[in-house]
Amino acid sequence: MDFSLSSDQELIRSTARKFIENECPREIVRELNRSEKGYDPEIWRKMAELGWMGLALPEEYGGVEGGMIDLALVMEEMGRGLLPGPFFPTVAACSFPILAFGTAEQKERYLPPIAGGEALWSLAVTEESGSNEASGIRMQAKAEGDVYILDGIKLFVPYANMADSLLVAARTSEGLNPREGITVFVVDPRSPGIEIDLLLTTAGDKQCEIRFSRVSVPKANLLGEADRGWPVLELIQQRTALLKSAEMLGGVQAVLEMTTEYSKQRIQFGAAIGSFQAVQHNLVDLFNEVQGLRYLVYEAAWRIDAGLSELSAFPLISMAKAKANQVYQRTCVDCMKLHGAIGFTEELDIGLYHLRTRANLALGGDTRFHLDRIAESWS
Amino acid sequence: MEFRFSEQEERFREEIRDFVKAELPPDWALGMFEEGDSDEEWAFIMSISKKLSQKGWLTMTWPREYGGQGASGWKALVYAEEGGYWGIPGTGMGVSGVSWVGPSLILFGTEEQRRKYMPLIAAGEPDGVWCTGYSEPNAGSDFANLRTQAIRQGDEYVINGQKIWTSAAHQARWCWLAVRTDPKSRSKHEGISIIIVDMKSPGVTVRPIRNYIGNHHFNEVFFDEVRVPVQNLVGEENRGWYQLMRSLGYERGGVAARSYGHNKRVLEELIRYADGQGLTARSEIRQELADVAIDIEVQRLLAYETIWKMSQGKAPTFEPSRDKVLNDEILKRLSTVGMDILGPFSQLRRSGRALKWFRDLGGVCSLYWNLIGMSSAAGTEFTQKNIIGQFGLGLPRSY
Ligand SMILES: Cc1cc2nc3c(=O)[nH]c(=O)nc-3n(C[C@H](O)[C@H](O)[C@H](O)COP(=O)(O)OP(=O)(O)OC[C@H]3O[C@@H](n4cnc5c(N)ncnc54)[C@H](O)[C@@H]3O)c2cc1C
Repeated sequence: MDFSLSSDQELIRSTARKFIENECPREIVRELNRSEKGYDPEIWRKMAELGWMGLALPEEYGGVEGGMIDLALVMEEMGRGLLPGPFFPTVAACSFPILAFGTAEQKERYLPPIAGGEALWSLAVTEESGSNEASGIRMQAKAEGDVYILDGIKLFVPYANMADSLLVAARTSEGLNPREGITVFVVDPRSPGIEIDLLLTTAGDKQCEIRFSRVSVPKANLLGEADRGWPVLELIQQRTALLKSAEMLGGVQAVLEMTTEYSKQRIQFGAAIGSFQAVQHNLVDLFNEVQGLRYLVYEAAWRIDAGLSELSAFPLISMAKAKANQVYQRTCVDCMKLHGAIGFTEELDIGLYHLRTRANLALGGDTRFHLDRIAESWS
Repeated sequence: MEFRFSEQEERFREEIRDFVKAELPPDWALGMFEEGDSDEEWAFIMSISKKLSQKGWLTMTWPREYGGQGASGWKALVYAEEGGYWGIPGTGMGVSGVSWVGPSLILFGTEEQRRKYMPLIAAGEPDGVWCTGYSEPNAGSDFANLRTQAIRQGDEYVINGQKIWTSAAHQARWCWLAVRTDPKSRSKHEGISIIIVDMKSPGVTVRPIRNYIGNHHFNEVFFDEVRVPVQNLVGEENRGWYQLMRSLGYERGGVAARSYGHNKRVLEELIRYADGQGLTARSEIRQELADVAIDIEVQRLLAYETIWKMSQGKAPTFEPSRDKVLNDEILKRLSTVGMDILGPFSQLRRSGRALKWFRDLGGVCSLYWNLIGMSSAAGTEFTQKNIIGQFGLGLPRSY
């Protein structure tokens, strides 16, 4: 047993923290939230130079061949610094399924541009039901000669407005089990028949509606096998859940630190509010929760790096995400309240974290979804 | 990072499981309190202590010269985890001897004290059973407020006063007693000393207190002109409080791992039973179980982290308090969902005519009724949070 980070990992963490603090202070975060693109291509280019997009990809595809812990550490710092951008959809959601299920040709073609920061990707799974379950995927893809014809609507597709490619899950056949008959496609968002609209989110992060009307996708663009898309989505689910949890961990850690600091400074009734037991115990509850979340995330990432079976990592990932969802929401709300009225203002950074709560909960799976996955692992 | 035990540690785990199969009845039920309510129960518990001692497990982290094996904290953690999972009784020798008397004597005791008391504990002998006398009627959470006095007269201390809630006092040969040796000290934290008292001394009276379940676990202990040789003073006179503060963290280090093992067992039994009854199909039960399963894994990780910090030579400060708060929270949720799963069967006792209907599920009933006491024992939730606030978050004292 060893709970320490390696010196390389310490370096990754401190580099990421410094980089994000320097390149993307909160004024920039606010600006980017208001902008159309939602990210800064210049920062993105520098991130690619640091090797972040290919951190956990093999060298042959331009990656650094680090581990999931390394990537989790970077995501943690992104959560801490609220760095906006398409890193999550591109790297966390799309690069791993391409690596695991892509043909040699697909990997050759798609991965190096991801690692190099030249290609932005996004994931289009969620539909009108808003559900993460297989039954939520209703979009039709019909085989016609060499192509599939896609019809339907995808929602909450992060940064689809900027994406060069999409992974799209659609239904190619109907069975009794909703997990059968799903197929994952690589789709060019500039294909005829596709319309993309930015959804206006409270947080200002970029999420889109994509309408597909008789969109033709070559059969060569299948990722994995036809009708057998569920395992692809499972992998996506697990990577996104884990890495989103890491990002959320960084966020709650920052919120807790800010609030603890504030509770030492703010004087009422002649004493620091942090000396009032109700305030102090509330902070202690959050502090305990954050520590627990931290190790769930790290151990889940470690299990993947250690090459233990996906099966052994999966309940832990679900635990991490369910915990992250609960802790993130609670920490943000409690800490805003612990600030009093100033916590409710635009001026303070703390609200920026809470605005992200709902997106964080949805991406990578909500709490009830993951609690059910944990229960599934018992049988 | 590495979240894996060594092969050696895993082999040791197997050895413990073999021991359990060989030595415990197949229907052995877990019980958090080693109360040994009847004489037969207590005799059985002590017989297991003896066997654990023969295995060298009872006090494995102690140095060899005092009856230990110089084992690593990790090995002890595996033992605590399995001990909790299988409910191995007799691991504490009362509650105090193994957990804190030995380690404190190593930190503060004289060589003579170590050689006299530690091997008795390590041998799993009735003369190695200890109780701890901290709390008094007016010194609970504020235990530095204690009044029991020890006045030095020649080569002896003369002790007068009263302790309360003293677990296992009726079974103990020795008491690890906190007393006031300087009644005129400037602050209540000064002037406290730790003295070892032979429970067979004239003037010691133990009066049982039954808890609300009807069990005899703790006692009142009265000291009336009890004479104790000055050699029984542990560490420095009047510095007892500061000694306790230093050793406290170490003492509590292993508790979390044992609790984790136990909780894991209860959870597994609940899942199995609920599945058999078709209850996991009910989403509120399934989700509540999954939710508490998360915190049980968190408990495992945090228990390991505490041991890891100690293995790095860092003295734990707030961590044992954190681990205790978490355990209390888990017990509350685990036992509540467990009792809901048991439905009306949750009312039954483990004895009498209805025994055939009693369903134990890893001792969940015992947990449910006992957790209220367990959360007060060794410091309440609020006082633990005070400690975490001060030492984990660096906040000012809140009370
Ligand atoms: C099963 C069991 C076994 C025990 N075994 C032993 C033993 O072997 N030896 C021994 O010495 N003692 C033992 N105790 C006693 C135990 O240590 C005390 O119960 C504990 O320290 C609390 O003290 P109290 O019961 O006097 O409660 P009090 O201190 O009177 O507390 C009452 C309530 O006030 C709250 N409170 C008190 N102070 C604060 C504060 N500063 N901030 C916020 N809230 C506060 C507490 O949280 C609690 O809810 C045992 C207790 C139990 C239940």
